[in-house]
Amino acid sequence: MPHKTLVIGGGAAGIGAAGGVKAADPANTVVVYTDFEDVGYSPCGIPYVHGKEIDSFERLFLAQKEAYVQAGIDIHYEKHVESIDVERKRVTVQGEGEVAWDRLVIATGFDYADPGVPGGGLEGLYYVKNIRRAMEWDKVLDTAKTAVVVHATPLGVEMTTALAQRGLETHLVDPQPWALADIVDPDIIAPVQESWLELGAHLHFNTTLEAFRGERTVSSVATSDGELPADIAVVCTHKRPNISLAAQAGLMVGPTGGLVVDERMATTVADVYAAGDCAELPHGVTRLGVQGLTGSHAYAQGKVAGFNAGGGTKRYQPVYVPWGTPAGKWVIGGASFGETTATALGIPFMVGQAEGISRARYYPGVKKVKIKLLAEPVQRRLIGAQMVGQEGIKERADFLATAVKFGLTLDDLAAMENVYSPAIGALNEPIVLAAQNGLESVPHGR
Amino acid sequence: MAAESFARWLRENAQHHLVVAAQDRIAKKYRAARPRRPHGFEEQVWRRAFAPVYRAVPWSLRSRVLRAMPGSHRQHWTSWTEPPRRRDPAV
Repeated sequence: MPHKTLVIGGGAAGIGAAGGVKAADPANTVVVYTDFEDVGYSPCGIPYVHGKEIDSFERLFLAQKEAYVQAGIDIHYEKHVESIDVERKRVTVQGEGEVAWDRLVIATGFDYADPGVPGGGLEGLYYVKNIRRAMEWDKVLDTAKTAVVVHATPLGVEMTTALAQRGLETHLVDPQPWALADIVDPDIIAPVQESWLELGAHLHFNTTLEAFRGERTVSSVATSDGELPADIAVVCTHKRPNISLAAQAGLMVGPTGGLVVDERMATTVADVYAAGDCAELPHGVTRLGVQGLTGSHAYAQGKVAGFNAGGGTKRYQPVYVPWGTPAGKWVIGGASFGETTATALGIPFMVGQAEGISRARYYPGVKKVKIKLLAEPVQRRLIGAQMVGQEGIKERADFLATAVKFGLTLDDLAAMENVYSPAIGALNEPIVLAAQNGLESVPHGR
Repeated sequence: MAAESFARWLRENAQHHLVVAAQDRIAKKYRAARPRRPHGFEEQVWRRAFAPVYRAVPWSLRSRVLRAMPGSHRQHWTSWTEPPRRRDPAV
């Protein structure tokens, strides 16, 4: 029997969910509420427009509004959902009053953590999220000379690269000892940081943000490393799951701060689902909750949540987190986790690493690829990987995440076949070299 | 709700300080910049008492305690009971 499903949120998870509801049964009714003017664009592309690698924001849109109408997805733009009543199956929407639902998908995304310093209300603080605001901020960047990027999170890394490439005097401020230090190992990020310096960026690690300063608009940023000039401050603090609405409705919140879900993306309340940055997922290796994954995770979770809300049956799976991003003049990536996270958790591991090349050594455009594999030391099953290079990082991250998932060992990878073709692949695949080096460190007979 | 809040508080603080302690160890290994020294009583307790005690507990025991905490990992996931596995050749 067709259902009426409401989706709160129009990001990747929300739009994925709306499509999932219709895929389960085209007769289903689906209504999406979003606080914003648009849906169905790639916010992850915003730094690349600021960096002038993409020539316009319009290119980030995946579909026109009319396409959603034709797909039978009823989107209510700039409509804020104020509360959820799970007993009566109603939401209260600003300007619309109470709206009934049979199934509800919560895809409310994230908020940036409050920097928690004086001056947070000044103009000139840019939180990268909404494409319309990004278009306005891009004009500000045309005249800005100096920028401070607050925190070397994944977005901070992208914005530092984009602003430095754009020619702004760019300062990156972070309280940790290196960029992305809670997930990326220092040997992997080192070439990125060198390349930022080559691009003219100023790096302030182990540096605490103290205040944003200015009359009405920010003009400088006070830090433990001194006062930095700032025509604009890009606030890239950690993303926090936006769960206040759901928590008020009584949904269970996990220790990561994300909503607790099962493999159907069902929350702890009947007929209510959650997906994307507001949900907590189990990590496939540690079996512990993680939160704040990628847009592709959010979209896939949304599809599952929506399909199940629409009356179908689909399962999501624990995550092995392939990731990657351009950073400075390099591309970094990995799967599962690296040495820092494994050490923090206290997981026993062995390492195999190698520096290889992306194409035949004589072929124009050949790039270095550094690979580090982590394996549990008894069976030598792969548990994580990190790498830095310039091409082929994404594909290796995807493969290595699958290798972790299916329990491949260093022995398997050391004997792996690989494509050899001078223009696209070297004789010796760097993953194989890393696995072989890892095995060489094992005493014979084990 | 109190258990949820406590779990969140514990995870946030423990994760942060264990990561900082791990950064210190990994930084030494790779001769990279080390995190700043702990400031104040609270940071000293987490870094100088909690982190070493946590490390001293074997992973097998520690993981059991961590997995006993509430969260999505305690819900139903078929992969836990039927983990992905290699299969025989298809043909």
